[in-house]
Amino acid sequence: MFLEVQHIVKSFGEEKVVKDLNFSLESKQTLSILGKSGCGKTTMLKTIGGLVASDSGKILLNGEDITETKPEKRNIVYLYQEDLLFPHLNAFENIAFGLRLKKIPEGLIKEEVNHMLQSLELEGQADKMPTELSGGQRQRVSFGRAISTNPSLLLLDEPFGSLDTGTRQRMQELFKKLTAEYKITSLFVTHDLKEAVLMGDQIGFMHDGILKVYEDKKDFIQDPETGVQNEIDFWGGLI
Amino acid sequence: MRINWKSFVLSLAVLLILFPFIYLVFLSLASEWRFPEVWPSYLGFKNWVTVFGSETGLLESFFSSLLISLSVAVFSTASGFLISKAVFYHPKKRILTLLAYFPYILAPVVFAACLSFFFLKMGLFGNMTGVVVAQFIIAFPYALLFFSSFWNAKVKSYEDLVATLGGNKWQTYTKVLLPLAKGLILICFFQTFLISWFEYGLTSIIGIGKVQTLTIKVFLFIKEANYYYGALSCCLLIFPPVVLLYFNKRYVFKKLV
Repeated sequence: MFLEVQHIVKSFGEEKVVKDLNFSLESKQTLSILGKSGCGKTTMLKTIGGLVASDSGKILLNGEDITETKPEKRNIVYLYQEDLLFPHLNAFENIAFGLRLKKIPEGLIKEEVNHMLQSLELEGQADKMPTELSGGQRQRVSFGRAISTNPSLLLLDEPFGSLDTGTRQRMQELFKKLTAEYKITSLFVTHDLKEAVLMGDQIGFMHDGILKVYEDKKDFIQDPETGVQNEIDFWGGLI
Repeated sequence: MRINWKSFVLSLAVLLILFPFIYLVFLSLASEWRFPEVWPSYLGFKNWVTVFGSETGLLESFFSSLLISLSVAVFSTASGFLISKAVFYHPKKRILTLLAYFPYILAPVVFAACLSFFFLKMGLFGNMTGVVVAQFIIAFPYALLFFSSFWNAKVKSYEDLVATLGGNKWQTYTKVLLPLAKGLILICFFQTFLISWFEYGLTSIIGIGKVQTLTIKVFLFIKEANYYYGALSCCLLIFPPVVLLYFNKRYVFKKLV
């Protein structure tokens, strides 16, 4: 397995936020995780990304134990719900940011960023500052910035949460296209049922700090805890 | 004919604000101006020539003040920025922030009197280093409180993001935090420079007359009833802040708005 998370526990004071987290993920796959606010999704992602230290447990990435590795050495990028574009840099420089940190030659940076701008359907927007871009464009630049560094794992924390329905749908399609093009392994956290089903190759459901990963989508749909049955009953009742 | 009261009042206000400064320049050019003479008997650059000839040590005081204020502004801005970050992430940040107000509870003169024993013991009494340290004690908490508004959850997210993109602490500072805080850093530098530049109470006690900053010199001239030199030193006192204010307005405030 590419990613193996074993018995991760994290508490803040008396409160146990993540309880015995266990799951694994194949390379180039997306595990979407559904969960309500406050169920421990963000803490789980931040623990895997190294931004929050776990109390116990182990994280293996490509067979290597990264539990104690600093976030900057993990090659795991964490994407927030907010695009967090650097306000002092234009779209091009925002995408090039991670590449510049790695001191990649200028010619290669230009080539990669221009290709990324094309993949993100952002041709002609390179010189625009973040304030001159729309919400969807900003989120795309944010994606580009994360993907351009070729991360081993991408952690997405409700990345489309702040977008309107139409933009959200377009971003979901773009994300699917990009994950296939750049062969990305990712954990996609959302509280949107439909988005969880659409985005993941595998689906998990997190409740009160416990993550349950389903064998297939059918199991997920049939589990009454996930709320899918309620949704089906609701829409079915309207017909 | 209609009188435009708005522009009239505005012009009057501008005139009232500018008058003391214009009068100071005028006074610095005058000498032997006695009552009831309407115009001074001499008006020229005699005072300025004397000063630049270093007869009274005013030029020396100007450079001493400049050195002290620049040191205080650089140290307090840099340490204020860095330490305010540590305070923001500290679990007892509220208590630490409250402590930063402590130097402002007392008047600077009383505060200096309280500290004088320690300065004497450390050999910092009556020298420039001592004055810089004393003024730093006042300017640093200001910088700390000033920068406390900069640190927030979003800035923390930026830091985390840079880390996951592979950036180390140095890169986080140079490529993100400092560019983000650039405007605030310049304003803080300006403010701490002014705190130091116009400081009198602490400087007079810790400097014990041996460190004669421009502010100390102004008071000496006024005590001696040498109004012309007093006005001249006031001009020198005002000149650097005016230059800083101009640069702040032109390059900083415009970008912040």
